[in-house]
Amino acid sequence: MISPSLRPSHFQVLVLFALAVSVALGFLSRREPRERFNYIARSLFWFLLIGVGIGWAMYPFSR
Amino acid sequence: MTEETATKIEAPAQLQADSRAIAVAIAGWLVPGLGHVLLRMWGRALACFLSVGALVFVGAGMRGNLFSWEGADPFSRLGFVADAGAGVFYWVAKSMEGGVSDVSHSYGDYGTRFLATAGVLNLLAALHAYEAARGRKA
Repeated sequence: MISPSLRPSHFQVLVLFALAVSVALGFLSRREPRERFNYIARSLFWFLLIGVGIGWAMYPFSR
Repeated sequence: MTEETATKIEAPAQLQADSRAIAVAIAGWLVPGLGHVLLRMWGRALACFLSVGALVFVGAGMRGNLFSWEGADPFSRLGFVADAGAGVFYWVAKSMEGGVSDVSHSYGDYGTRFLATAGVLNLLAALHAYEAARGRKA
């Protein structure tokens, strides 16, 4: 069995996923650079907040 | 010019515009960002290429599962549709993995989601390029 060549932490995976999706959606859905930046920043913030929030909400059931 | 004559003149132009929009969508699906390149939307093209490329590169690096067309159940076939949405990056991911995925770790599971997301994002970008080519979005 071949082991994964990339072994990022859970948080790094979350950040990378959120960043890639936010950038793509920001560029597709907004036209002006300032609007894009605001959209990407807001989307990234909510991705991270909800992701970490769900992680903490599941914590009591993890053991 | 009567209304009927005007309609006859507009019909071939409309057909040509539709054909171009379909060609743009197919190009955008095959190579992420190419549809927007054809429309000279450079920022969107670069963003699509880099986002989809990063998701595929990391997803394949974590040995995510790439679904094949010969899936045993409808979910596998649905997974294939999502993965194949990445266009040529589907085969890039396949060659990176060497046909060996590993979902026994959480990395592999994450990788599977990354690969599917890359495909779905690219399909969305291709649809956006199609709409833009038809003049519905800018």
